[in-house]
Amino acid sequence: MKKLRLDPLSLAGLACLLLLVLLALGSLVDAAGDPDAIVGPRLRPPGPGWWLGTDNLGRSVLPRVMEGVGTTLLLSSAAVLVTAALSAGFGVLAGYRGGYLNELIMRVVEVLYSFPAIVLAVLVAAVAGPGQLAALASIVLVTIPLMTRLVRAAAVAVAGRDYVTAAVISGARLPRVLGRHVLPNVAGTIAVQGTYALSVGISVEGGLSFLGFGVQPPQASLGVLIRQGGTYMMAAPWLIIGPGAVLVLAILSINVFGDGLRDRFEPRETRSLV
Amino acid sequence: MILELDDVTVSFTTGPPLRRRRLDAVRGVSLAVAEGETLGVVGESGSGKTTTSRVALGLRRPTSGTVLFDGRPFPRRRRDLAGRIQAVLQHPHWSLNPRMRVGQSVAEPLAVLGRPAGSLVAEALEQVGLGAGFAERYPHELSGGQRQRVSIARALITRPSFVVLDEAVSALDVSVQAQILNLLKDLQAEFRFSALFISHDLGAVRYVADRIAVMRDGEIVETAAAAAFHTAPEHPYSRQLLESL
Repeated sequence: MKKLRLDPLSLAGLACLLLLVLLALGSLVDAAGDPDAIVGPRLRPPGPGWWLGTDNLGRSVLPRVMEGVGTTLLLSSAAVLVTAALSAGFGVLAGYRGGYLNELIMRVVEVLYSFPAIVLAVLVAAVAGPGQLAALASIVLVTIPLMTRLVRAAAVAVAGRDYVTAAVISGARLPRVLGRHVLPNVAGTIAVQGTYALSVGISVEGGLSFLGFGVQPPQASLGVLIRQGGTYMMAAPWLIIGPGAVLVLAILSINVFGDGLRDRFEPRETRSLV
Repeated sequence: MILELDDVTVSFTTGPPLRRRRLDAVRGVSLAVAEGETLGVVGESGSGKTTTSRVALGLRRPTSGTVLFDGRPFPRRRRDLAGRIQAVLQHPHWSLNPRMRVGQSVAEPLAVLGRPAGSLVAEALEQVGLGAGFAERYPHELSGGQRQRVSIARALITRPSFVVLDEAVSALDVSVQAQILNLLKDLQAEFRFSALFISHDLGAVRYVADRIAVMRDGEIVETAAAAAFHTAPEHPYSRQLLESL
Protein backbone atom coordinates (compact mmCIF):
# COMPACT_ATOMS: atom_id res chain seq x y z
CA MET A 1 0.00 0.00 0.00
CA LYS A 2 1.17 3.47 -0.74
CA LYS A 3 1.94 5.64 2.24
CA LEU A 4 -0.62 8.22 3.14
CA ARG A 5 1.32 11.43 2.45
CA LEU A 6 -0.22 14.80 3.07
CA ASP A 7 0.96 18.32 2.40
CA PRO A 8 2.00 20.51 5.37
CA LEU A 9 -1.20 22.56 5.35
CA SER A 10 -3.51 19.60 5.69
CA LEU A 11 -1.19 18.10 8.29
CA ALA A 12 -1.63 21.34 10.23
CA GLY A 13 -5.39 20.90 9.85
CA LEU A 14 -5.13 17.37 11.19
CA ALA A 15 -2.97 18.53 14.10
CA CYS A 16 -5.46 21.27 14.92
CA LEU A 17 -8.31 18.76 14.83
CA LEU A 18 -6.43 16.42 17.14
CA LEU A 19 -5.83 19.33 19.51
CA LEU A 20 -9.57 19.94 19.66
CA VAL A 21 -10.18 16.26 20.34
CA LEU A 22 -7.58 16.48 23.13
CA LEU A 23 -9.44 19.48 24.59
CA ALA A 24 -12.67 17.51 24.48
CA LEU A 25 -11.02 14.51 26.17
CA GLY A 26 -9.64 16.89 28.79
CA SER A 27 -13.16 17.89 29.77
CA LEU A 28 -13.89 14.27 30.67
CA VAL A 29 -11.40 14.50 33.53
CA ASP A 30 -12.30 18.11 34.34
CA ALA A 31 -8.80 19.20 33.33
CA ALA A 32 -9.83 22.86 33.46
CA GLY A 33 -12.34 22.43 36.25
CA ASP A 34 -15.99 21.39 36.52
CA PRO A 35 -18.00 22.98 33.68
CA ASP A 36 -21.07 23.29 35.93
CA ALA A 37 -19.32 24.72 39.01
CA ILE A 38 -19.78 28.38 39.87
CA VAL A 39 -16.27 29.73 40.31
CA GLY A 40 -16.64 33.48 40.63
CA PRO A 41 -18.63 36.60 39.92
CA ARG A 42 -20.87 36.74 36.88
CA LEU A 43 -19.76 37.97 33.44
CA ARG A 44 -16.11 38.56 34.37
CA PRO A 45 -13.58 39.12 31.56
CA PRO A 46 -10.77 36.55 31.19
CA GLY A 47 -8.41 36.42 34.14
CA PRO A 48 -6.71 34.01 36.57
CA GLY A 49 -9.16 31.31 37.68
CA TRP A 50 -11.33 31.78 34.59
CA TRP A 51 -9.07 31.95 31.53
CA LEU A 52 -11.91 32.62 29.08
CA GLY A 53 -14.01 34.67 31.50
CA THR A 54 -17.17 33.68 33.36
CA ASP A 55 -20.72 33.42 32.08
CA ASN A 56 -24.03 34.82 33.29
CA LEU A 57 -24.15 32.30 36.15
CA GLY A 58 -20.52 32.75 37.20
CA ARG A 59 -19.34 29.50 35.58
CA SER A 60 -15.89 29.45 33.99
CA VAL A 61 -16.19 29.51 30.18
CA LEU A 62 -13.08 27.44 29.39
CA PRO A 63 -14.31 24.08 30.76
CA ARG A 64 -17.69 24.76 29.17
CA VAL A 65 -16.07 25.26 25.77
CA MET A 66 -14.12 22.06 26.29
CA GLU A 67 -17.28 20.15 27.11
CA GLY A 68 -19.05 21.87 24.22
CA VAL A 69 -16.47 20.95 21.61
CA GLY A 70 -16.64 17.37 22.88
CA THR A 71 -20.42 17.22 22.56
CA THR A 72 -20.34 18.77 19.10
CA LEU A 73 -17.54 16.56 17.78
CA LEU A 74 -19.03 13.39 19.22
CA LEU A 75 -22.49 14.14 17.87
CA SER A 76 -21.19 15.10 14.42
CA SER A 77 -18.82 12.13 14.13
CA ALA A 78 -21.52 9.69 15.18
CA ALA A 79 -23.83 11.20 12.57
CA VAL A 80 -21.14 11.08 9.89
CA LEU A 81 -20.47 7.41 10.63
CA VAL A 82 -24.18 6.70 10.13
CA THR A 83 -24.14 8.75 6.92
CA ALA A 84 -21.02 6.98 5.64
CA ALA A 85 -22.48 3.54 6.30
CA LEU A 86 -25.81 4.34 4.64
CA SER A 87 -24.25 6.22 1.72
CA ALA A 88 -21.76 3.44 1.11
CA GLY A 89 -24.54 0.86 1.03
CA PHE A 90 -27.02 2.80 -1.08
CA GLY A 91 -24.46 4.49 -3.32
CA VAL A 92 -22.57 1.31 -4.18
CA LEU A 93 -25.78 -0.62 -4.79
CA ALA A 94 -27.30 2.13 -6.95
CA GLY A 95 -24.08 2.66 -8.88
CA TYR A 96 -23.35 -0.99 -9.51
CA ARG A 97 -26.83 -2.38 -10.10
CA GLY A 98 -28.35 0.59 -11.91
CA GLY A 99 -31.88 0.14 -13.20
CA TYR A 100 -34.94 0.66 -11.02
CA LEU A 101 -33.02 0.41 -7.77
CA ASN A 102 -30.77 3.24 -8.90
CA GLU A 103 -33.75 5.37 -9.95
CA LEU A 104 -35.52 4.79 -6.65
CA ILE A 105 -32.50 5.59 -4.49
CA MET A 106 -31.47 8.63 -6.50
CA ARG A 107 -34.97 10.15 -6.60
CA VAL A 108 -35.25 9.89 -2.81
CA VAL A 109 -31.81 11.44 -2.49
CA GLU A 110 -32.77 14.29 -4.82
CA VAL A 111 -35.87 15.08 -2.79
CA LEU A 112 -33.72 15.29 0.34
CA TYR A 113 -31.16 17.35 -1.55
CA SER A 114 -33.75 19.95 -2.51
CA PHE A 115 -34.37 20.99 1.11
CA PRO A 116 -32.15 23.72 2.54
CA ALA A 117 -30.13 22.19 5.39
CA ILE A 118 -31.57 24.24 8.21
CA VAL A 119 -35.19 23.79 7.06
CA LEU A 120 -34.67 20.04 7.01
CA ALA A 121 -33.08 20.18 10.45
CA VAL A 122 -35.93 22.22 11.94
CA LEU A 123 -38.42 19.83 10.37
CA VAL A 124 -36.72 16.87 12.02
CA ALA A 125 -36.60 18.68 15.35
CA ALA A 126 -40.31 19.45 15.04
CA VAL A 127 -41.13 15.80 14.40
CA ALA A 128 -38.70 14.13 16.80
CA GLY A 129 -38.66 16.81 19.48
CA PRO A 130 -35.61 18.96 20.22
CA GLY A 131 -32.57 17.15 21.57
CA GLN A 132 -29.43 15.26 20.68
CA LEU A 133 -31.30 12.65 18.66
CA ALA A 134 -32.89 15.34 16.51
CA ALA A 135 -29.49 16.92 15.95
CA LEU A 136 -27.99 13.58 14.97
CA ALA A 137 -30.83 12.69 12.61
CA SER A 138 -30.66 16.16 11.05
CA ILE A 139 -26.96 15.89 10.35
CA VAL A 140 -27.49 12.49 8.75
CA LEU A 141 -30.31 13.76 6.54
CA VAL A 142 -28.38 16.87 5.54
CA THR A 143 -25.15 15.05 4.68
CA ILE A 144 -26.51 11.86 3.15
CA PRO A 145 -27.63 13.18 -0.26
CA LEU A 146 -24.29 14.56 -1.43
CA MET A 147 -22.31 11.61 -0.13
CA THR A 148 -24.66 9.06 -1.69
CA ARG A 149 -24.50 10.83 -5.04
CA LEU A 150 -20.72 10.95 -5.04
CA VAL A 151 -20.32 7.36 -3.86
CA ARG A 152 -22.75 6.30 -6.58
CA ALA A 153 -20.79 8.20 -9.22
CA ALA A 154 -17.56 6.57 -8.05
CA ALA A 155 -19.24 3.15 -8.02
CA VAL A 156 -20.51 3.64 -11.58
CA ALA A 157 -16.93 4.29 -12.70
CA VAL A 158 -15.57 1.28 -10.80
CA ALA A 159 -18.37 -1.01 -12.01
CA GLY A 160 -17.19 -0.63 -15.60
CA ARG A 161 -13.59 -1.60 -14.87
CA ASP A 162 -12.16 -4.82 -16.17
CA TYR A 163 -11.38 -6.34 -12.79
CA VAL A 164 -15.06 -6.16 -11.86
CA THR A 165 -16.07 -7.75 -15.16
CA ALA A 166 -13.41 -10.42 -14.69
CA ALA A 167 -14.77 -11.22 -11.23
CA VAL A 168 -18.32 -11.50 -12.60
CA ILE A 169 -17.13 -13.79 -15.39
CA SER A 170 -15.36 -15.93 -12.78
CA GLY A 171 -18.76 -16.44 -11.16
CA ALA A 172 -18.37 -14.09 -8.18
CA ARG A 173 -21.70 -13.23 -6.57
CA LEU A 174 -22.96 -9.77 -5.68
CA PRO A 175 -21.67 -9.57 -2.07
CA ARG A 176 -18.20 -10.54 -3.19
CA VAL A 177 -18.15 -8.17 -6.15
CA LEU A 178 -19.37 -5.27 -4.03
CA GLY A 179 -17.35 -6.08 -0.92
CA ARG A 180 -14.02 -6.96 -2.48
CA HIS A 181 -13.98 -4.93 -5.64
CA VAL A 182 -16.35 -1.98 -5.64
CA LEU A 183 -16.37 -0.85 -2.01
CA PRO A 184 -12.58 -0.81 -1.45
CA ASN A 185 -12.20 1.28 -4.59
CA VAL A 186 -14.73 3.91 -3.56
CA ALA A 187 -13.38 4.06 0.01
CA GLY A 188 -11.27 7.10 -0.88
CA THR A 189 -14.36 9.01 -1.94
CA ILE A 190 -16.11 8.00 1.28
CA ALA A 191 -13.16 9.18 3.39
CA VAL A 192 -12.92 12.53 1.62
CA GLN A 193 -16.66 13.15 1.72
CA GLY A 194 -16.71 12.00 5.34
CA THR A 195 -14.44 14.87 6.37
CA TYR A 196 -16.57 17.39 4.51
CA ALA A 197 -19.71 15.87 6.03
CA LEU A 198 -18.10 16.26 9.46
CA SER A 199 -17.64 19.99 8.96
CA VAL A 200 -21.20 20.31 7.65
CA GLY A 201 -22.35 18.31 10.67
CA ILE A 202 -20.59 20.67 13.07
CA SER A 203 -22.21 23.70 11.51
CA VAL A 204 -25.64 22.04 11.42
CA GLU A 205 -25.32 21.14 15.10
CA GLY A 206 -24.21 24.70 15.81
CA GLY A 207 -27.14 26.17 13.92
CA LEU A 208 -29.71 23.81 15.36
CA SER A 209 -28.57 24.20 18.96
CA PHE A 210 -28.32 27.93 18.43
CA LEU A 211 -31.98 27.93 17.47
CA GLY A 212 -32.77 25.77 20.49
CA PHE A 213 -33.73 22.61 18.58
CA GLY A 214 -30.56 20.64 19.19
CA VAL A 215 -28.56 19.98 22.34
CA GLN A 216 -30.39 21.31 25.38
CA PRO A 217 -28.74 23.32 28.18
CA PRO A 218 -27.31 22.79 30.76
CA GLN A 219 -25.34 20.39 28.55
CA ALA A 220 -22.83 22.44 26.60
CA SER A 221 -22.29 22.23 22.87
CA LEU A 222 -20.72 24.87 20.66
CA GLY A 223 -24.16 25.89 19.40
CA VAL A 224 -25.60 26.13 22.92
CA LEU A 225 -22.65 28.25 24.09
CA ILE A 226 -22.89 30.60 21.11
CA ARG A 227 -26.60 31.04 21.72
CA GLN A 228 -26.01 31.90 25.39
CA GLY A 229 -23.07 34.11 24.50
CA GLY A 230 -25.16 35.97 21.93
CA THR A 231 -27.45 37.26 24.64
CA TYR A 232 -24.60 39.04 26.41
CA MET A 233 -22.58 39.86 23.32
CA MET A 234 -22.26 43.57 24.09
CA ALA A 235 -21.61 43.25 27.83
CA ALA A 236 -19.41 40.15 27.73
CA PRO A 237 -18.08 39.40 24.23
CA TRP A 238 -15.74 36.63 25.56
CA LEU A 239 -18.82 34.46 26.02
CA ILE A 240 -19.27 34.20 22.27
CA ILE A 241 -15.68 34.68 21.13
CA GLY A 242 -14.41 31.50 22.82
CA PRO A 243 -16.88 28.97 21.43
CA GLY A 244 -17.16 30.91 18.15
CA ALA A 245 -13.43 30.75 17.56
CA VAL A 246 -13.36 27.04 18.37
CA LEU A 247 -16.24 26.41 15.93
CA VAL A 248 -14.45 28.29 13.15
CA LEU A 249 -11.21 26.49 13.95
CA ALA A 250 -12.91 23.08 13.89
CA ILE A 251 -14.62 23.64 10.54
CA LEU A 252 -11.57 25.22 8.98
CA SER A 253 -9.16 22.51 10.08
CA ILE A 254 -11.48 19.73 8.95
CA ASN A 255 -11.90 21.31 5.53
CA VAL A 256 -8.18 21.84 5.09
CA PHE A 257 -7.55 18.25 6.10
CA GLY A 258 -10.30 17.11 3.72
CA ASP A 259 -8.69 19.02 0.85
CA GLY A 260 -5.43 17.23 1.55
CA LEU A 261 -7.19 13.86 1.56
CA ARG A 262 -8.91 14.71 -1.69
CA ASP A 263 -5.66 15.69 -3.39
CA ARG A 264 -4.23 12.43 -2.18
CA PHE A 265 -7.10 10.28 -3.45
CA GLU A 266 -8.64 11.95 -6.48
CA PRO A 267 -5.69 12.32 -8.89
CA ARG A 268 -5.18 8.59 -8.81
CA GLU A 269 -8.91 7.96 -9.07
CA THR A 270 -9.31 10.13 -12.11
CA ARG A 271 -6.15 9.17 -13.94
CA SER A 272 -7.29 8.29 -17.42
CA LEU A 273 -6.94 4.94 -19.11
CA VAL A 274 -4.25 5.73 -21.62
CA MET B 1 -18.29 -26.92 -30.57
CA ILE B 2 -17.49 -25.12 -27.37
CA LEU B 3 -19.28 -21.95 -28.41
CA GLU B 4 -21.88 -21.34 -31.07
CA LEU B 5 -23.53 -18.07 -31.97
CA ASP B 6 -26.36 -18.51 -34.44
CA ASP B 7 -27.88 -15.49 -36.18
CA VAL B 8 -27.27 -13.27 -33.15
CA THR B 9 -28.58 -9.71 -33.20
CA VAL B 10 -28.10 -7.23 -30.37
CA SER B 11 -30.06 -3.99 -30.57
CA PHE B 12 -29.98 -0.87 -28.49
CA THR B 13 -32.54 1.87 -28.48
CA THR B 14 -31.23 5.42 -28.51
CA GLY B 15 -32.61 8.90 -28.73
CA PRO B 16 -35.36 10.77 -26.89
CA PRO B 17 -38.79 9.20 -26.22
CA LEU B 18 -41.14 9.25 -29.24
CA ARG B 19 -38.16 9.51 -31.54
CA ARG B 20 -36.40 6.38 -30.42
CA ARG B 21 -34.22 4.71 -32.95
CA ARG B 22 -33.15 1.11 -32.93
CA LEU B 23 -29.48 0.55 -33.38
CA ASP B 24 -28.08 -2.87 -34.12
CA ALA B 25 -24.67 -3.31 -32.52
CA VAL B 26 -24.38 -6.69 -34.15
CA ARG B 27 -26.68 -8.08 -36.81
CA GLY B 28 -27.14 -11.73 -37.76
CA VAL B 29 -23.77 -12.84 -36.45
CA SER B 30 -23.06 -16.56 -36.63
CA LEU B 31 -19.79 -18.03 -35.49
CA ALA B 32 -18.51 -21.16 -33.84
CA VAL B 33 -15.43 -22.05 -31.85
CA ALA B 34 -14.34 -25.69 -31.84
CA GLU B 35 -12.51 -27.41 -28.97
CA GLY B 36 -8.88 -26.30 -28.80
CA GLU B 37 -9.36 -23.82 -31.60
CA THR B 38 -8.66 -20.10 -31.64
CA LEU B 39 -11.11 -18.02 -33.57
CA GLY B 40 -9.86 -14.54 -34.34
CA VAL B 41 -12.34 -11.72 -34.75
CA VAL B 42 -10.99 -8.63 -36.42
CA GLY B 43 -12.68 -5.37 -37.17
CA GLU B 44 -12.40 -1.63 -36.69
CA SER B 45 -13.82 0.12 -33.65
CA GLY B 46 -17.59 0.25 -33.73
CA SER B 47 -17.80 -2.91 -35.81
CA GLY B 48 -19.46 -4.86 -32.99
CA LYS B 49 -16.44 -6.78 -31.70
CA THR B 50 -16.91 -5.91 -28.04
CA THR B 51 -20.65 -6.62 -28.14
CA THR B 52 -19.84 -9.97 -29.71
CA SER B 53 -17.41 -10.72 -26.90
CA ARG B 54 -19.97 -9.79 -24.24
CA VAL B 55 -22.50 -12.10 -25.88
CA ALA B 56 -19.90 -14.87 -26.07
CA LEU B 57 -19.17 -14.41 -22.35
CA GLY B 58 -22.87 -14.53 -21.52
CA LEU B 59 -22.76 -11.01 -20.10
CA ARG B 60 -25.34 -9.76 -22.58
CA ARG B 61 -28.36 -11.62 -23.87
CA PRO B 62 -28.88 -11.25 -27.59
CA THR B 63 -32.05 -9.52 -28.80
CA SER B 64 -32.55 -12.43 -31.14
CA GLY B 65 -30.65 -15.53 -32.14
CA THR B 66 -29.21 -18.31 -30.03
CA VAL B 67 -26.00 -18.76 -28.10
CA LEU B 68 -24.82 -22.19 -27.04
CA PHE B 69 -21.94 -22.81 -24.69
CA ASP B 70 -20.82 -26.43 -24.73
CA GLY B 71 -24.06 -27.31 -26.50
CA ARG B 72 -26.35 -25.61 -23.97
CA PRO B 73 -27.73 -22.11 -23.58
CA PHE B 74 -26.08 -19.96 -20.89
CA PRO B 75 -27.54 -20.87 -17.49
CA ARG B 76 -29.55 -18.28 -15.61
CA ARG B 77 -27.02 -18.31 -12.81
CA ARG B 78 -23.52 -17.31 -13.83
CA ARG B 79 -22.14 -19.38 -11.03
CA ASP B 80 -23.06 -22.60 -12.79
CA LEU B 81 -20.36 -21.77 -15.32
CA ALA B 82 -17.80 -20.60 -12.77
CA GLY B 83 -14.29 -21.61 -13.71
CA ARG B 84 -15.19 -22.98 -17.16
CA ILE B 85 -15.16 -19.68 -18.98
CA GLN B 86 -12.71 -16.84 -18.37
CA ALA B 87 -11.58 -13.64 -20.00
CA VAL B 88 -8.57 -11.40 -20.44
CA LEU B 89 -9.79 -7.90 -21.06
CA GLN B 90 -8.72 -4.67 -22.60
CA HIS B 91 -7.07 -2.23 -20.22
CA PRO B 92 -3.95 -3.39 -18.41
CA HIS B 93 -4.40 -0.41 -16.10
CA TRP B 94 -7.79 -1.62 -14.89
CA SER B 95 -7.50 -5.34 -15.32
CA LEU B 96 -6.45 -5.83 -11.69
CA ASN B 97 -8.05 -4.51 -8.53
CA PRO B 98 -5.55 -1.91 -7.23
CA ARG B 99 -6.47 -2.77 -3.63
CA MET B 100 -5.63 -6.45 -3.94
CA ARG B 101 -2.25 -8.12 -4.01
CA VAL B 102 -1.45 -9.92 -7.25
CA GLY B 103 -1.69 -13.28 -5.48
CA GLN B 104 -5.20 -12.53 -4.23
CA SER B 105 -6.28 -11.48 -7.71
CA VAL B 106 -4.91 -14.64 -9.28
CA ALA B 107 -6.49 -16.81 -6.59
CA GLU B 108 -9.91 -15.17 -6.85
CA PRO B 109 -11.51 -17.51 -9.41
CA LEU B 110 -10.56 -20.41 -7.11
CA ALA B 111 -11.90 -18.59 -4.06
CA VAL B 112 -15.21 -18.06 -5.89
CA LEU B 113 -15.42 -21.81 -6.40
CA GLY B 114 -14.46 -22.45 -2.81
CA ARG B 115 -11.37 -24.38 -3.87
CA PRO B 116 -8.12 -24.02 -1.92
CA ALA B 117 -5.41 -22.13 -3.79
CA GLY B 118 -2.45 -23.92 -2.21
CA SER B 119 0.58 -23.76 -4.47
CA LEU B 120 -1.53 -23.10 -7.57
CA VAL B 121 -1.02 -19.34 -7.46
CA ALA B 122 2.76 -19.67 -7.44
CA GLU B 123 2.55 -22.22 -10.28
CA ALA B 124 0.26 -19.98 -12.32
CA LEU B 125 2.61 -17.02 -11.92
CA GLU B 126 5.56 -19.19 -12.98
CA GLN B 127 3.62 -20.36 -16.02
CA VAL B 128 3.10 -16.82 -17.29
CA GLY B 129 6.77 -16.03 -16.80
CA LEU B 130 6.54 -14.12 -13.54
CA GLY B 131 8.16 -15.37 -10.37
CA ALA B 132 6.12 -16.59 -7.42
CA GLY B 133 7.43 -13.49 -5.64
CA PHE B 134 5.00 -11.35 -7.65
CA ALA B 135 2.13 -12.66 -5.51
CA GLU B 136 2.97 -10.16 -2.78
CA ARG B 137 3.05 -7.13 -5.06
CA TYR B 138 0.36 -4.60 -5.80
CA PRO B 139 -0.72 -3.86 -9.40
CA HIS B 140 0.72 -0.32 -9.38
CA GLU B 141 4.18 -1.83 -8.99
CA LEU B 142 3.78 -3.73 -12.28
CA SER B 143 4.25 -2.75 -15.92
CA GLY B 144 1.42 -3.11 -18.44
CA GLY B 145 2.87 -6.33 -19.84
CA GLN B 146 3.29 -7.81 -16.38
CA ARG B 147 -0.29 -6.94 -15.49
CA GLN B 148 -1.58 -8.66 -18.62
CA ARG B 149 0.49 -11.71 -17.65
CA VAL B 150 -1.19 -11.65 -14.25
CA SER B 151 -4.60 -11.41 -15.95
CA ILE B 152 -3.72 -14.44 -18.02
CA ALA B 153 -2.62 -16.34 -14.91
CA ARG B 154 -5.93 -15.42 -13.26
CA ALA B 155 -7.92 -16.51 -16.31
CA LEU B 156 -6.18 -19.89 -16.61
CA ILE B 157 -5.97 -20.88 -12.95
CA THR B 158 -9.30 -22.73 -13.08
CA ARG B 159 -8.25 -24.49 -16.31
CA PRO B 160 -11.19 -23.10 -18.27
CA SER B 161 -12.29 -24.76 -21.48
CA PHE B 162 -12.93 -21.40 -23.13
CA VAL B 163 -11.17 -18.04 -22.86
CA VAL B 164 -12.19 -14.75 -24.42
CA LEU B 165 -9.29 -12.41 -25.16
CA ASP B 166 -10.84 -9.02 -25.88
CA GLU B 167 -8.16 -6.65 -27.16
CA ALA B 168 -5.91 -8.38 -24.66
CA VAL B 169 -2.67 -7.06 -26.15
CA SER B 170 -3.84 -3.91 -27.90
CA ALA B 171 -2.74 -1.49 -25.21
CA LEU B 172 0.79 -2.90 -25.01
CA ASP B 173 4.01 -1.98 -26.80
CA VAL B 174 4.64 -3.97 -29.96
CA SER B 175 7.58 -5.90 -28.49
CA VAL B 176 5.59 -6.74 -25.36
CA GLN B 177 2.62 -7.73 -27.55
CA ALA B 178 4.77 -10.32 -29.29
CA GLN B 179 5.89 -11.77 -25.94
CA ILE B 180 2.31 -12.04 -24.69
CA LEU B 181 1.08 -13.59 -27.95
CA ASN B 182 3.86 -16.18 -27.79
CA LEU B 183 2.97 -16.88 -24.18
CA LEU B 184 -0.68 -17.39 -25.15
CA LYS B 185 0.26 -19.82 -27.90
CA ASP B 186 2.49 -21.80 -25.53
CA LEU B 187 -0.16 -21.92 -22.82
CA GLN B 188 -2.80 -22.97 -25.31
CA ALA B 189 -0.58 -25.80 -26.55
CA GLU B 190 -0.18 -26.91 -22.94
CA PHE B 191 -3.73 -26.52 -21.61
CA ARG B 192 -5.75 -26.91 -24.83
CA PHE B 193 -8.36 -24.28 -24.16
CA SER B 194 -10.48 -22.80 -26.91
CA ALA B 195 -10.19 -19.08 -27.45
CA LEU B 196 -12.01 -16.19 -28.98
CA PHE B 197 -9.35 -13.63 -29.81
CA ILE B 198 -10.80 -10.23 -30.54
CA SER B 199 -8.69 -7.37 -31.87
CA HIS B 200 -8.66 -4.46 -34.25
CA ASP B 201 -5.14 -5.50 -35.18
CA LEU B 202 -5.09 -8.05 -37.99
CA GLY B 203 -1.37 -8.62 -37.41
CA ALA B 204 -2.01 -9.91 -33.89
CA VAL B 205 -5.08 -11.92 -34.92
CA ARG B 206 -3.20 -13.52 -37.80
CA TYR B 207 -0.44 -14.57 -35.41
CA VAL B 208 -2.62 -16.58 -33.02
CA ALA B 209 -5.86 -17.50 -34.82
CA ASP B 210 -6.69 -20.77 -36.56
CA ARG B 211 -9.66 -19.19 -38.25
CA ILE B 212 -10.45 -15.53 -38.78
CA ALA B 213 -13.78 -13.74 -38.85
CA VAL B 214 -13.89 -10.21 -40.21
CA MET B 215 -16.49 -7.86 -38.78
CA ARG B 216 -17.74 -4.63 -40.24
CA ASP B 217 -20.73 -2.51 -39.20
CA GLY B 218 -22.07 -5.22 -36.91
CA GLU B 219 -21.90 -8.01 -39.44
CA ILE B 220 -19.44 -10.76 -40.19
CA VAL B 221 -18.38 -10.23 -43.77
CA GLU B 222 -16.07 -13.22 -44.05
CA THR B 223 -14.96 -16.25 -42.08
CA ALA B 224 -12.05 -18.28 -43.31
CA ALA B 225 -9.25 -20.54 -42.15
CA ALA B 226 -6.23 -18.40 -41.36
CA ALA B 227 -4.07 -19.85 -44.13
CA ALA B 228 -6.75 -19.42 -46.79
CA PHE B 229 -7.52 -15.96 -45.54
CA HIS B 230 -4.01 -14.71 -46.16
CA THR B 231 -3.64 -16.10 -49.63
CA ALA B 232 -7.12 -15.41 -50.99
CA PRO B 233 -9.41 -13.17 -48.96
CA GLU B 234 -12.82 -13.10 -50.58
CA HIS B 235 -14.41 -9.94 -49.32
CA PRO B 236 -13.08 -6.62 -50.59
CA TYR B 237 -12.94 -5.30 -47.00
CA SER B 238 -10.74 -8.24 -45.98
CA ARG B 239 -8.43 -7.49 -48.86
CA GLN B 240 -8.30 -3.88 -47.79
CA LEU B 241 -7.37 -4.91 -44.24
CA LEU B 242 -4.66 -7.26 -45.46
CA GLU B 243 -3.17 -4.65 -47.74
CA SER B 244 -2.98 -2.11 -44.94
CA LEU B 245 -0.73 -4.41 -42.89
